[in-house]
Formats: sequence, structure tokens, C-alpha cells
Amino acid sequence: MSAPEAREGRLVDAALRCYPARWRRRHAAEAAELATLLIRDGTPAPSIAWSYLLGAAREWLALRPGRSLSKVAAALLAATCLLGISAALIAESAPAKAAGTTQSPSGPALPKAKPTPPSAGSSSPHQFTPCRPVLPRRVTGALPAAGHRQLSLQGAAHARSC
Amino acid sequence: MSAREQDVLRRVGEASVLVLVSLAGGPKHGYALIQDVKQFAGVELGPGTLYGALDRLERLGLIESLPADERRHPYRITAPGTAALRAHLDSLERVSAAGRLRLQPGGI
Repeated sequence: MSAPEAREGRLVDAALRCYPARWRRRHAAEAAELATLLIRDGTPAPSIAWSYLLGAAREWLALRPGRSLSKVAAALLAATCLLGISAALIAESAPAKAAGTTQSPSGPALPKAKPTPPSAGSSSPHQFTPCRPVLPRRVTGALPAAGHRQLSLQGAAHARSC
Repeated sequence: MSAREQDVLRRVGEASVLVLVSLAGGPKHGYALIQDVKQFAGVELGPGTLYGALDRLERLGLIESLPADERRHPYRITAPGTAALRAHLDSLERVSAAGRLRLQPGGI
């Protein structure tokens, strides 16, 4: 056997090893011989190996009798959806927890800045303006952290324009 | 039972039907099946597809494997397999006739 033939044989053998043991016990020898005949006819070895790989994937998915491919696909889809929802919940709850930590009423009180009276004709960017409540802007999608008041992320730090 | 319910080959895929048609002409092993399908249908079945179809048909009881000849397992069609193939071909014929009728100029 020449080197390229040996390489092609190894490629097909590797693909055949992907099948379940039950299938290999039954078909492996015959499948290897069939591959040899097809290669001799001019079929490219990678194409044969690819066909066996796809066949192995199908065989694993429909391994047990009575378990149809559609049922397996539905189970995989459901699992993917559950994982996606869990990941989305975790991703959304992280900022809410962070907001709850900094804005917790039980947390350390921040020193309040004393308002300074306005100087006439001042062009300072920090001009005095009377305190007026500003409604916090809601951040869509933020979830309240457990045990904390729900506060908006943006606007909470500037709840008053003092 | 309706003709549609009788047609168990409706869901097995084209490869399985081609294998069954080939085996209707007599028992064959894998390589002979691939060559025969290529000759009468112009379809080159991949070996992975072929073994998938053979396993499926055998599970359904539509074909059976014969004692191995060296390393090759010949397969043959069973009586339920013959009936299933006939029902499927009848169904295809009805669809084909309707399609041809509608393709005619002034068809439905």
C-alpha cells in the first residue's frame, strides 16, 4: 500500500471510529471495504470520510430505537432556550445588583454638599440653581436586586439637580 | 387505513426509497447498491447515507440482512417492504399525474 493510500485509509478509519460501538461491531469491516472500493473507483477519500462523519452524527442522535431525530432536536432546542434565558437573566441582574449596592439606604451616608449662594454675573459652569426634584429615568431591562429598593442606574446619582 | 397512512416511506427520506427500489430488483450489498442507484437514478449515495438508510429500513422491518458473504452483508427486501414500496410509488404516481395535468397549457 502506497503512502497516499495509507493516509486515505487512516482518514476513513478515523471517521468510522466516530460511530457508536454497536454500529462498528456490525458494519465497520464492511464499511472500510466499501470505502476502499469507492476510492479505487475515483471517489475522493475526504468525501467518503465526510459522509461517514455525517452518518456517525446521525447515528448518535438516533441511537436508541424509538427515539426519533425530531424528539432529539426538540430536546436540544429546549435546552438551548433554557440556557439562553438563564444567561440573559444573569447578565441583566448584574447591573441591578451593582446599583443596589451603591444606592442602598443602609449603606454609608454620603456627605451632603452645602449649596453656595450665586455670585452675581458668575460665569462658572457650577452655577447655583434651586433644588428641584428630578424624576429618575428608568433603565429598561434592569431587574431589582433582591432586598433592595429598585433605583434607576442613570439619573439616580443626580436625583436632585443641586 | 388511508393511502397516506399506508405510505410508511413518506418520512424515511429519498435515500431509503432509492435503496428499497434497488433491493426490489434482488439482494445486494453496499457497493452494488451504490452502483445500482447511480445507474438508475443518477444519484451518488454517500456510504454514510447508505448505512443510515439500511439501518432505518431494517429497523422498520422493510429489509433484512442475509448471512455475510466474507465481510459483505447482502440485504434483501421483505414482504412488508415490498408492500410499502408499492404504496409509496402509487402515491408518487398520483402526485406526478396531478402535477403533469396542472403543467399542461390550460390546466387546472
